[in-house]
Amino acid sequence: MQFPLGTPRWRRYLRFWRANVRADIDDEIRFHFDARIEELVSQGVPAEDARRRAAEEFGDVESVREQLRAIDDRLAKRRGHAEWLDGIRQDVAFAARSLRGSPGVATAIVLTLALGLGVNTAVFSLLDAIFLRPPAGVVAPNQVRRLWTEITSTSGKQFRPGFAFPQYRAVSDALDGLAETAIAGQPGRVKLGTGGTSMHAMLSRVSSEYFPLLGARAALGRFFTADEDRLGAGARVAVVSDAFWKSALGGETSALGRTIVLGGERYTVVGVAAPEFTGVELDATDVWLPIATTAGYGSGPWWQSMRVNGFTILLRPAPHVRDETIDVRATAALRRPGMSLIRSDSLAVTRVGSIIRARGPGRREQEVQIATRLGGVAAIVLLIACANVVNLLLARAVRRQREIAVRLALGISRARLLRLLMAESTLLALAAGAAALVSAYWGGGALRKILLPDVHWARSPLDWRVLAVGVTATLLAGVVAGLIPALQSSSITVTDALKTGARDIHARRSRLRSTLVMAQAALSVMLLVGAVLFVQSLKNIRDLDLGFDTTRLLFAHVEFDSKDAVRDSLMPARLTELADRLRAGPGIEETALTAMRPIEGFSWEDYFPDADTSANKKPLGMFWAVSPDYFAVAGTRLIAGQAFPRAHGAAIPPSVLVNDAMARALWPGQNPIGRCVRFAKPDARCNAVIGVVETARYDKLIEDPTPQFYLPLENMPFRYSGAHEIAIRANDADVAAVIRETRGMLRNAFPTGEPVVTSMSAALEPQYRPWRLGATLFSLFGVLALVVAAIGIYSTVSYDVNQRTPEFGIRVALGARFSDVVTHVLSGGLRTVGVGVAFGVAGAIAAGRLVASLLYGIAPGNPVVIGAVAAGLLLVAAIAALGPAWRAARVDPMSALRLE
Amino acid sequence: MTTPRELELFQGTLDVLVLRALSWGPMHGYAVARFIRTGSDGSFSIVDGALYTSLHRIEGRGWVESEWGTSDKGKRAKFYRLTAAGRRALRTETATWNDYVAAVARVMSAVPEAG
Repeated sequence: MQFPLGTPRWRRYLRFWRANVRADIDDEIRFHFDARIEELVSQGVPAEDARRRAAEEFGDVESVREQLRAIDDRLAKRRGHAEWLDGIRQDVAFAARSLRGSPGVATAIVLTLALGLGVNTAVFSLLDAIFLRPPAGVVAPNQVRRLWTEITSTSGKQFRPGFAFPQYRAVSDALDGLAETAIAGQPGRVKLGTGGTSMHAMLSRVSSEYFPLLGARAALGRFFTADEDRLGAGARVAVVSDAFWKSALGGETSALGRTIVLGGERYTVVGVAAPEFTGVELDATDVWLPIATTAGYGSGPWWQSMRVNGFTILLRPAPHVRDETIDVRATAALRRPGMSLIRSDSLAVTRVGSIIRARGPGRREQEVQIATRLGGVAAIVLLIACANVVNLLLARAVRRQREIAVRLALGISRARLLRLLMAESTLLALAAGAAALVSAYWGGGALRKILLPDVHWARSPLDWRVLAVGVTATLLAGVVAGLIPALQSSSITVTDALKTGARDIHARRSRLRSTLVMAQAALSVMLLVGAVLFVQSLKNIRDLDLGFDTTRLLFAHVEFDSKDAVRDSLMPARLTELADRLRAGPGIEETALTAMRPIEGFSWEDYFPDADTSANKKPLGMFWAVSPDYFAVAGTRLIAGQAFPRAHGAAIPPSVLVNDAMARALWPGQNPIGRCVRFAKPDARCNAVIGVVETARYDKLIEDPTPQFYLPLENMPFRYSGAHEIAIRANDADVAAVIRETRGMLRNAFPTGEPVVTSMSAALEPQYRPWRLGATLFSLFGVLALVVAAIGIYSTVSYDVNQRTPEFGIRVALGARFSDVVTHVLSGGLRTVGVGVAFGVAGAIAAGRLVASLLYGIAPGNPVVIGAVAAGLLLVAAIAALGPAWRAARVDPMSALRLE
Repeated sequence: MTTPRELELFQGTLDVLVLRALSWGPMHGYAVARFIRTGSDGSFSIVDGALYTSLHRIEGRGWVESEWGTSDKGKRAKFYRLTAAGRRALRTETATWNDYVAAVARVMSAVPEAG
């Protein structure tokens, strides 16, 4: 009979997926009616009456149905949760139990994965901070742009982020109505407070438009106004960051109105920025000052000078204004006469870029480039780690074959088995992930310190983004590493596995393991080639002749909080006297005086050489003013002519030294000695070129040979500030002691100043850092990969030998010699590795161009390096396979055959 | 079935009767209904629908478990079985009920004390 208001029959099929509460209730009620009516009919009640009576007895069917649904829905939900939790609990318990059974393998897996995950999380943390995350506290940061200049020269495209104030004005006027504009100086360290304090603050001077453009909020007080930022009349007001407010100002509201001393100048705190806002650079800013407080140098107001040109221009284009429009307008503005920084800029165009500086368009700093390569390296390390874990799990699965077969025979479903095995690898991955997050915290911090030690970081290396990436990578690694072994295990044939026991050879599985070994070998080759290239680059860089001898070369000067015209004018004479006293002291070979030390900066002056400047382009007049002994002290060799004569109080004739690059630029193929160079005016006095010295670095380890002059401090051809630094060549004795003594002497001589004594090698060390870094990190990861790959090779060959023990028994029984068996096993292992190495070589050549820009003096495809690494890896593989091969050759035929 | 002496049943009492019915062994909802109807000689005006809400409710409490099976007539039916918790519940409920009945009986048969 048909039951009223029932559920359509098809709905019952939903039970296939889950208990269908509704259909069950309908069925139950229908059964009740059927049974009741049948009983009444059998008692002789007419069918129609029976139906009516059953309905009367039952009451309101619809309302009962509703009540039952409500009860059962609740019940089903509760059961679902309980079952789910129970399943998880069971899986985890099972996984934990079975892992406790083999703690060695579990530990190896956790450590391998922790390593891979830790490296990746740490590297992500770094890349996120540099590249991915826009500055915090900025409204709609993707709409904010930075302006760059693109200069096309013979050596390719160059991008410069810096602008002079007149350029900012021109751009700002040209973009009126199209974009908001602001100008900001780079954050720089300045001394905080007065006297001998060692406190510093990151200071950035910005225009009053800066905060509104970014949409930054003041948590306390206010930002500075346009009125306080009037050029030539900048108010001494400061806005501080939340971190600075808390650390240096006690975090109290009363900090507003307080005076802080920055670099010897006094400023009044008028506002505190919102906690998240730390400026737009990687370096977190502590204090913002009106740009109008900028101290210029040279003659004339700084805001009209093209020489003060390290400013960043920020833009926020109006809606619907395209970047191209901005570029066209800004370029036109900067091509107007007098708007270019140097003459060759006349064809420069502007390019807008992201608010995130590292995104370019400019070429990235070497450290940042290394950071991006590290992302790839970290991924490779994780891949190798995963391959190793797969290998370990596979080996383990082989040993557990019987156990799994028994489980299958006892009726566990394959899906359930898969889940159990996956639970195992996921548990392992989670344990590794936890270890990885801990290591990522300090690893990320360490990476920041190693890679970008000078950055004033705004945030901790570990936050929820990094955490989310770490957890995702963990779960992914767990699933990836666990899935293949689990699939393989759950697909074994029960009868076969039980029959042959644990020594069953699955050709397919051993092929998979070989593939993994190949992959590991290939990836190791890539990392090792990278490592050797970086190490060789570092060596090439270290071997460079810089034009001075950095070992035991020291420079000393004194810094003061404030200016003092009298003291400054006396400084050269006092330094000369000090240099003489130092020379007499112990541990010092020679001293000299210079106005400026190399790498720290340079001076230049317009000049007029006695040369054909129409044919040869006249280089920038970069010069160093030095005392006669400077070249001996610095270790800069004289190539031709002579150095400045020692004056001994007498006047020396007007003379100049040129470096090799200058000689070649001005007088190619001619003798420069005796030529005239005039400074400032074409008809000024003649300074005769008396000698040529080798070309020394003026700024960087790697730079084009740059033309330079050397002028005598005692007889400068134009007004010049005079000696500022003492150059010291220490002898073989303790350099640290010389630094200490020199510092003490300077402190006695200038009690109000702060002596600064540094060695040239220490000053240059930051420049070696990226090279050392690449070499260290790649070597570390490369060796790591090699060790992991060696373990993989060993375990695979060893496993193979175990499986084939009877076969070797037969071979030996049939008369195979010891060396035959060893060779057989070795060649089998090496074939696998050889294929991997071949892939690795191809990969290394293909990936070479990614690191080419980070290398020096060596090409990424260098055949010697690649050949050496390939040979080295094969050697390691041979050593790893030797043990098992030895075992195979030592098989006792009788006992091996008895095993069958 | 309507009889001259109809008694209303409280919800809790119905639960006890259902438990009692199931204490004889697993049965489907209709069998429980028949058990109570026969057992009471038609004294209660049981609405069958209420019986099912009672069954499902005590299943939610964990006193009974249900399973689909086949009735003696070969049809698919949902069977209920008492759980250990259900057995315990039946014991306490029966004791409470007996106390209640005894107390009511005592009151009904008592006479006022003199004085």
